[in-house]
Order: sequence, then structure tokens, then C-alpha cells
Amino acid sequence: MCAQPVTNTKEARWQKVLYERQPFPDNYVDQRFLEELRKNVYARKYQYWAVVFESSVVIQQLCSVCVFVVIWWYMDEGLLAPHWLFGTGLASSLIGYVLFDLIDGGEGRKKSGRTRWADLKSALVFITFTYGFSPVLKTLTESVSTDTIYAMSVFMLLGHLIFFDYGANAAIVSSTLSLNMAIFASVCLASRLPRSLHAFVMVTFAIQIFALWPMLQKKLKACTPHSYVGVTLLFAFSALGGLLSISAVGAILFALLLVSISCLCPFYLIRLQLFKENIHGPWDEAEIKEDLSRFLS
Amino acid sequence: MAYRGGGGDGQHPSASLSYVSPGRLSTCRTCTHNICMVSDFFYPNMGGVEGHIYQLSQCLIERGHKVIIVTHAYGNRKGIRYLTNGLKVYYLPLKVMYNQSTATTLFHSLPLLRYIFVRERVTIIHSHSSFSAMAHDALFHAKTMGLQTVFTDHSLFGFADVSSVLTNKLLTVSLCDTNHIICVSYTSKENTVLRAALNPEIVSVIPNAVDPTDFTPDPFRRHDSVITIVVVSRLVYRKGTDLLSGIIPELCQKYPNLNFIIGGEGPKRVILEEVRERYQLHDRVRLLGALEHKDVRNVLVQGHIFLNTSLTEAFCMAIVEAASCGLQVVSTRVGGIPEVLPENLIILCEPSVKSLCEGLEKAVSQLKSGALPPPENIHNIVKTFYTWRNVAERTEKVYDLVAGEAVLLMDKRLDRLISHCGPLTGCIFALLAVFNFLFLMFLRWVTPDSIIDVAVDATGPKGAWTHQSPYRKKVDENNEVSKTR
Repeated sequence: MCAQPVTNTKEARWQKVLYERQPFPDNYVDQRFLEELRKNVYARKYQYWAVVFESSVVIQQLCSVCVFVVIWWYMDEGLLAPHWLFGTGLASSLIGYVLFDLIDGGEGRKKSGRTRWADLKSALVFITFTYGFSPVLKTLTESVSTDTIYAMSVFMLLGHLIFFDYGANAAIVSSTLSLNMAIFASVCLASRLPRSLHAFVMVTFAIQIFALWPMLQKKLKACTPHSYVGVTLLFAFSALGGLLSISAVGAILFALLLVSISCLCPFYLIRLQLFKENIHGPWDEAEIKEDLSRFLS
Repeated sequence: MAYRGGGGDGQHPSASLSYVSPGRLSTCRTCTHNICMVSDFFYPNMGGVEGHIYQLSQCLIERGHKVIIVTHAYGNRKGIRYLTNGLKVYYLPLKVMYNQSTATTLFHSLPLLRYIFVRERVTIIHSHSSFSAMAHDALFHAKTMGLQTVFTDHSLFGFADVSSVLTNKLLTVSLCDTNHIICVSYTSKENTVLRAALNPEIVSVIPNAVDPTDFTPDPFRRHDSVITIVVVSRLVYRKGTDLLSGIIPELCQKYPNLNFIIGGEGPKRVILEEVRERYQLHDRVRLLGALEHKDVRNVLVQGHIFLNTSLTEAFCMAIVEAASCGLQVVSTRVGGIPEVLPENLIILCEPSVKSLCEGLEKAVSQLKSGALPPPENIHNIVKTFYTWRNVAERTEKVYDLVAGEAVLLMDKRLDRLISHCGPLTGCIFALLAVFNFLFLMFLRWVTPDSIIDVAVDATGPKGAWTHQSPYRKKVDENNEVSKTR
């Protein structure tokens, strides 16, 4: 816009400063325009098998929900006696408890400073209270229609899967909410079982599979990745087998879901990385990298 | 004034225009414009954008243009107000939604804005600030009416989070058929070009300015027995108040004769108070609270060093104001700040407590050794850098350029929206543009442009608000109307 002679612009070099009147029009675009633009500074390179390995957390949780529902169905149909389930659950919990300490050589226990006596106490308190309240659980939702109960359970289990802590650092993650939703679903479903002993066993089983099992998994994954893969495969196949005994179509759909999550989704993630265009430049808001709380504490 | 550019839908019946035009055209230069500044942010709200609009308008009036300002009502301040030199401000009764920005439906403001644009015979719409919904609405309506549009962007945005992705998309839509865009620094230009996917040729860089007569040094106001560091900013995260809370204890422990004066208010004030409490610095750190713009100079001149800890900044008027008062400026190297002052007047640091402390220590040692130039000299250098007259002159060139351009016709505009903004967004907004056009047709049918009164031109030293106005009698009846409104 400034009517400056063209020769002048060639002599003077454009500077990225505002305080000098430069012999260029205001809408002049220099070659250095956008030279400080950086792309994909914080982009991560993903390895296919590493992503597949990480996806096993999701697989595990889906299988847990599947196993839980299958067990409930067997109980509801009267094909599985509550004593059997309680006995197996207790035995596997004990094995898991021993494994939990064996895997890391008792380091985690030393760090948390929790005694075995405390563990035993909380287990006893929990079992007593659940047993005592199981008649109440049984009759709690009697006035609610069964369809509502099923719908509610489905939503709660979905919510459990959504809010579960898969290791992502996101605002939506809340392990407390996730666990509560799963327990609520188990209470809902347990109330439709024939007797109060069934209800008690069902809720206990829910605690084992939704609260204790993920803790053991986390430790397995951190300490012995190979055995973790084995456990995941075994768990997935047993969930599939259980589902197959109820519904073949359901089992096929579930298998497809598992395969797509563990194989297709990682593939897509890596393919989509090619289209990533994250722009950075001097206009970005600076991040405060230091810990400033030390000045206040 | 006749309509320029002649967009297909911008050709109004001009019979009613002609009876005021001849007299006015004879006195005006050939290239004067009727400019309407639109923004949600204006006095009594205070800030950089508000000051920019006011000062720019005053300087444009001085250069013979007609300028009006449109903003939303601020509490009791509604209707029409006249400021210095007959600068007319419309405070429209639109609902404020968030942070002084109005809600937008893209349509509800059309009747009011169209009425104003027609009765004021506006030729160029100049919108300010990408945070202002009203500014974007006005751009949208102006394009429908076939008026020339200019937009000034005052802020920087990132690209990473969801909210900025959405706002950047809206900005793309809003700016894709705007005639010209003005940014306040080169960094801001790069940012806007990327955000709105613009051709950089239609983006001009015109910096903000500072009135140097408002910011004069006064070395007798400061005590040379102690060193005073002044901070004037809103106390919010984006201004780096957290960094300040780390700097204060660090430096106060190192230098026993160092004081802080902090002007400004905000949610982060509490952490400064905590720091002051914890390190027992009540006599050395003064928190002044919110400052009025006229008091800023009196605070600045009490200090030796000015500290700016912003984490992002498009231009940063504060450091220019401080330098104009003769202070040594220490600032973070973010956004457009490195472009604003030459290296000998500013110490740039990385946005961390350590780097800023080093910068301040360097400034203190320079001050002690007497290496700093006297405030009067700094003032004399800085006052030549940024003046509103210069800003107005350069903005006028943008107006001249824009006035010569054709406004996109409706079909071209729809094509551009669809091709430029992506298939989904483009189609949605193209549809909205069509609805807006139909709404405009309806409004023109209900109240034709020819029966809308022409407002009297109040601006300028010879405007109707003064008694020497030569047109006072001529447009008397209009005057009556606009007074009663």
C-alpha cells in the first residue's frame, strides 16, 4: 500500500520489528514469513506391537464385564450353584493374593506399609457386611421393573468401561466412578437372582473381578509382560468360551470386537499419525515448566 | 455519501441519499469513508481493544472521516452517546453472554445493525477482536448487505486444544470473505493467517500505539535509595502471575533494598498475597489492586524497572507504556513481544523464574553501575515508535484499498464459503448466509431503505454537534429525529 519505489525494497532487508518504519507495504509478505513454524513437535512415534500390547488393558476389561455377565446368567438360570462360585472365587483370590506379593518380591507392600492383618480385617469386614445386607440387597429393587434393572445394568457397565483408568491421562478417567458403577450394576443384577445367598456371592464376585483383578493385572503388566500377554489371551478365550455356551452369535460379535480393538484400532492409530499436523510457533502460550509450589509451601 | 463497491445486493435506492450528499461531498476529500467500528468491547469496559478503537476513531475523525462505534449496552449505559469530537457510540440492547461478549444467533442483530448501517450511510465495517461475537455478526451482515469489511485481530490463539480448534474454524468462516484483515504484530499475522487459512497478502500489520504525552517520565517521583520493580497487569494465569510469585521471594532475599509495586486485580492476586505473607514482605511488596488507566502512569514513574511476565501476548502495550515512562523493561520472550522494542531498551528472558531473575539481576546491575540511559532519553526514543496518527494513516490506506475492491456477490460468496471452509461447515454457513439474505430482503420490504432517516453527521470539528456547523439548518429535521432517538 505504501507507494515506495521497487528498487528500495530490494536494498533494504525486511526485519521482523514493529518499531521501525520499513520501506515495505503493511501487507508485505517476506520470505521469512512463517519461518518459525514447527510441526508435530510433541508427536510420538508408535510401534504396532507396542500399541497392540497396550490395547490389552481394554481387552481385559471388556472380558471382565463379559465374564461377569456370563456368570450372572448361569446363576440366574440355576446352572451354577452359589457355593461353587464362592469357593472358586475364594480360592482364586487367595492365589491372586499370594501372586500379588510374589511378583514384585514384596516391594509394593513395603512401600505402602500395609500389614497382612489389615488386609484380613478389611476382607472379613467386607464379607460380613455383604452377607448381612444381602437379604436387603435382594429385596431392595423389588418394586423396580426387571427391564429397568437390565437397562440400568447395561448403562452402568458401559459407564464402567468408559470411565475406567486404562492408563490415559484424560479428564474423563475416574477409577472411583468406574468401580462404583460396576458395583451398582452388580447390585442391580444380584437383586434378580433367586435367593439372598446368590446375591451375596454375586456382589462378592463383582468386587473380585472389578476391584481386585485389575490391581493384579496392573502389577503383572508392569513386572512380567510376557505372562501378562498369556493371561490376557487365556482370559479372552475363557470369556469367549463362556459366551459361546450361551449364544453363538454373541460370541462371534464379541470376538470381532476384541480383534478390531486389539489389531485394527492400533493399525488405524498408526495410519492416522501420517495426517497429523500439529502447529507450533511463537504464538503458543508458554508453559511454566518449573514447580512453583515450593515458594508457597 | 454514495455507496461504493456496488455488491449486487448493496444497491440501495439512492433517491433519499442525494439530498444530503452534495453538500457533504464538496467539503470532504475524495477518499473519505463512513466507517463503523463494531466490537463488544468499548468504554466503560477497559482494556487494550477499547483504547485502540477509541484512539483510532479519534485520529480518523481528525483526518476527515466519519466514524461511529457500535457496541452493546453496559448496564445503564445504553442508547446513543456522543464522545469527544462528536464520536457517536451506539450501545445496543443485546444480551451479554460471557465475559462481556454478546450471545450470537447470527440473525437477531440484523434488524438493528442494518438500521444503523443505512441511517449512518456506512461504507466500511471495521470489526475488532476475535473474542467479540458482535464483531463477527456485523461482518456477516455487512457482507450480506454488500458493504466492505475490515477486521482487526488483537489476540493470539493456539492450535492444540479442542476449544481453539472450534474457534479457529469459526474464524475461518468469518474471515474467508472479509476484504482485509489487520493484525497488531507480525507474530499475530502469522497466527491469524494459519488459523483462518488466509492469503497473507490481505493481512496487514499495523501495530497498536501509545499516547506518548500520557506516559512521560518523572524521575523525581522515584526514590533512588531503593530499587523499585513495577508490574502492571491483570493478575491472571495468562499474564504469568505464577512466575511473579516465584520471582518476588527469590529477588527480595538477594537484594535487601529492592521493592515491588504491583498494580492490577485478578483471580491470581491471592497467591501474591500468600507469598507476601509467607516471606514477611508487607513493607516491600505493595499490591495496589485495580488501576484506572489514568493512574497507570503515576504508578509507572515510581519504579526503575518494569517487569512483564506474560505467557502469551500479541503486542503488549504495557511494555511500550513503561518504556515511554523511561523504565528499563524486562519481559518474557513470547508472542509478538520481541518485535515491539529494540534490544537496547528491553531485556528478553525465557518464561521461567530462573531466566526472569537473571534478566532482572542484569537490569539491577546496570542500574547500579549507571549504564542505563536517563529516563528522558528513553522517552524521547520511544515516543517516535508508535503514535495513533501513524496507525490511523496506515489504517486509512487499508480503507482506501478496500474501498476500491468489489464485495463478493452472493453466488460468489456462497462458492467461497463452500470451497474455503470445508464441505460441512461451508455448506452450513452458506445456508445461513442465504437465510440472512432472505431476512434482509424481508426487512427491506417491511422498512425500505428510502424511509429510514439519514442521521446527521456529527463527527469532526465542523460536525453538527458544534455550533459552527454549516449544515446545521439543512439537516435540522434529521437532527431532531436523531436527538429523540
